[in-house]
Amino acid sequence: MTSLSTQLLVLGGGATGLGIAWDACLRGLKVVLVEQGDIGQGTSGRYHGLLHSGGRYVVSDPVSARDCAAENAILRRLASHTIEDTGGFFAAAPGDPPAFADLWLEGCRHAGVPATEISATEACRREPLLNPRLQRVFAVQDASLDSFDLLHALVRAIRSAGGQVWLRHRVDGLLREGDRVSGAIVRPSGSTDTRTVHAEMVVNATGPWARETARLAGLDIPMALGKGAMVAMATRLVNTVVNRLKPPADGDIIVPVGTVAVLGTTDVPVDRPTDLHIDPWEIDLLLAEAEILIPDISHHRPLRAWAGIRPLFRPARAAGETRQMPRAHLILDHAAADGTPGMISVIGGKLTTYRLMAEQTMDEVCRQLHVQAACRTMDAPLERPADARYFTLPARLEALERAGRHQQQPEVICECESVTREQILHALESADTTDLDDVRRDLRLGMGPCQAGFCAYRAAALAESRAGAGSTWLEAFLEERWRGTRPLAWGTELRQMDLTRRIYLELMAVRPATEAP
Amino acid sequence: MKRVLVIGAGLTGLFAAAMAARRGAEVTLVTDGRGGLELSHGCIDLLTPPLSPETFGHLLPAHPYRRAGLERIREAMDLFREFLTEQGLTYFGSLEHNLALPSAAGGIRDTGLAPLAQATGALADAGTFHLASLAHFRDFSAAFAAQRLRQRGLPVGGVVELALPNLPPGRDLYATDLARLFDDREWREETIRSWRSPLTGIQRLGVPAVLGLTGAEAARTSAEEQLGVRLFEIPTLPPSVPGLRLERALRRTAQAAGAHLIEGAHATGLVEAASIGRVTGVVYVSAGGPRPQRAEAVILATGGALHGGLVFRSHGAVQESVFDLPVEHASERGGWTAESLFASQPYSRFGVIIGDDFRPVGPDGQPLFENLFAAGGLLGGCDRTAEGSRQGIDLVSAYCAVEEALT
Repeated sequence: MTSLSTQLLVLGGGATGLGIAWDACLRGLKVVLVEQGDIGQGTSGRYHGLLHSGGRYVVSDPVSARDCAAENAILRRLASHTIEDTGGFFAAAPGDPPAFADLWLEGCRHAGVPATEISATEACRREPLLNPRLQRVFAVQDASLDSFDLLHALVRAIRSAGGQVWLRHRVDGLLREGDRVSGAIVRPSGSTDTRTVHAEMVVNATGPWARETARLAGLDIPMALGKGAMVAMATRLVNTVVNRLKPPADGDIIVPVGTVAVLGTTDVPVDRPTDLHIDPWEIDLLLAEAEILIPDISHHRPLRAWAGIRPLFRPARAAGETRQMPRAHLILDHAAADGTPGMISVIGGKLTTYRLMAEQTMDEVCRQLHVQAACRTMDAPLERPADARYFTLPARLEALERAGRHQQQPEVICECESVTREQILHALESADTTDLDDVRRDLRLGMGPCQAGFCAYRAAALAESRAGAGSTWLEAFLEERWRGTRPLAWGTELRQMDLTRRIYLELMAVRPATEAP
Repeated sequence: MKRVLVIGAGLTGLFAAAMAARRGAEVTLVTDGRGGLELSHGCIDLLTPPLSPETFGHLLPAHPYRRAGLERIREAMDLFREFLTEQGLTYFGSLEHNLALPSAAGGIRDTGLAPLAQATGALADAGTFHLASLAHFRDFSAAFAAQRLRQRGLPVGGVVELALPNLPPGRDLYATDLARLFDDREWREETIRSWRSPLTGIQRLGVPAVLGLTGAEAARTSAEEQLGVRLFEIPTLPPSVPGLRLERALRRTAQAAGAHLIEGAHATGLVEAASIGRVTGVVYVSAGGPRPQRAEAVILATGGALHGGLVFRSHGAVQESVFDLPVEHASERGGWTAESLFASQPYSRFGVIIGDDFRPVGPDGQPLFENLFAAGGLLGGCDRTAEGSRQGIDLVSAYCAVEEALT
């Protein structure tokens, strides 16, 4: 068992935790962050890809709306390489409550969310697949934000500032010194060798796991978990974020993300952070709602479905529908709330406001640690990686074309997403890569229309020496891709799934990992 | 001469067309797409564990093999081998014993009949073997296959990477690109010559199955002589060359026997009100517009979920795509697939139900049309992937459907 001391220990490697660790680095604190899985494996990597303009919340939650509007402008400045400025529409479809539009516009004015009305004709000119019978349309400053790129930029920033980010470390227990939480015992996954981290302050930013984490210190956080299912359509049906102009409801948004369009979301109360099962009705509902905005959508192919868990603070009086609970975040100081100093939990919030949450959390941490340091994240841009070679599809295509002109055609391993052999070999060099799913999150390997049907073999072959004898990288990757297509198993998608099954089970004679010798 | 119409140009449709034409029928084959053989390893998977009175008895009564009976299974295989031998593509194996062949992912593939080029790699054969990758060819990795075969205790001697001199510039190569190059005798001989020294001392070598589309067997044997190495082929990621060789051979057999092929034509069933209990034929759509094609017997060989014979709808319906025949299926979409890719999949057991005469039947078990027969992937009652019976069912059901149609 090894032991180490730090000023701040952050639990959770989502946007919240990484944002806090980065903020702490900039304030000069010594930081260790531990994440149980890979970067973006929790809620931050399982969202619809929207950088909120704030428009969604102007009526139901004006505080959140105002925060979103402000942070939207800040993130565009700080992390422009992770954002695609798609713009957004709020569109009232035929049958949507007509009075809501005026109420909403009033809310935008109050919350400082810029919104400009455009005609339905103009909206359809910009987005030809939209329903031509929309009642009213407003243009807002929504954008598409790649959370993987953002999280990776934060990890790089933290590490280059001297902070530590440990992936695949689980928290086994929290250390106590009297009443005080004084650190944690963490364990690398698959290992029995624990590490003790002593810290002056522990921040619990474990999202949907926050309640379980707090329980390790004997504390209870009143929380509710809301599962949201999303569907990625195989093509980018719109170039603009399209929101339904009505009170927040299931299936009220379409976000263009890279090569796909994401339909979001449902909101189903669940008991555990791992309850990610998607019911057929959720898919049917998302497609039916999207059909109101894009009448032709049934002719397009749904590609993949996934679910994320929203961690929501539930005050004692609120019960029932998770959709109605406030989206605003809460910074819970356990010294004040439970008489247990040394730990702060951060609950709720949105990816769009991660920086603000981090600022407020670190203000509290610094107050308690008597550190005089102001927040500097607003003036510290997150650097675009020097090898920004593959972060957007146009960039990849351009790189391929450039290489082709110099007679050095790179070998393309994943044709759907233009991932090359060199990129994969490079990703395999990283110590943070422990399976092909990690490579996928880094490079979008296998995320296109064939869902790894072809590249899984090629990539597993490239990883052969890295994975080592007895590895089941191929089997695990295929299973992971299969999971996300199952909720959409009909029509073209089912044909694709059957093709994958035939290639790997019949042509390649691959057998389940458990049967491997 | 009986007029027979076959819909579909996969293994089932081509074999049915060839057999019917050989038996003197006037055969027209209408196909929308290419057929599934470019996805195939080119072998005939019959059943794992192999067919025997015992394993046969364990099959469900609705299984196409049970409809056919063991004797017709044997007859179908004999006829298939006869056709292929004529085309210079000899198939080895038997009903009773499966061949165990190495796969490109280092798995062990059990199959009933395999073309000579693959059968030479049967793992039961004594002695070690080497595996070779081809430079810049992504769809076959000798190192990956070897690593995983060794884990299974197989005597893989070593791995070599062979160069391909004089590659034309262009995009990344597929198996079919290489096969076309190997069909060029000059290119092939120069390439094989360059392999001589890296292969010194090797007795038996597995290579990706790309050694030509048209003259593959001759190319392989002449390479064996040139190199002094026993060469066997392992199928790659699709497009899969051994499947395409099989496709080519069956097309030639069918066409030589007088079958007429209409490609790129989407077919819709035609049932005239006057012809009670019989189908009239199909209406197919091609460049010239829709045309009726009449026949005395129609054999549906349109495939299952993958090839469009069965269409799965989001509201839980599964439709047969030409005559809208009833399809046995579960109507809860959530239960169509299993949690694991490697498990048996409920959707793959859905399909058209037939009687012993290979006529599709209704819920009452009675034939729907006197002159309509079904074969291949659209038949329900079994998971071909899980039981390793895909091509066997295709051939046997095509055989039986043709026999019944010509009676």
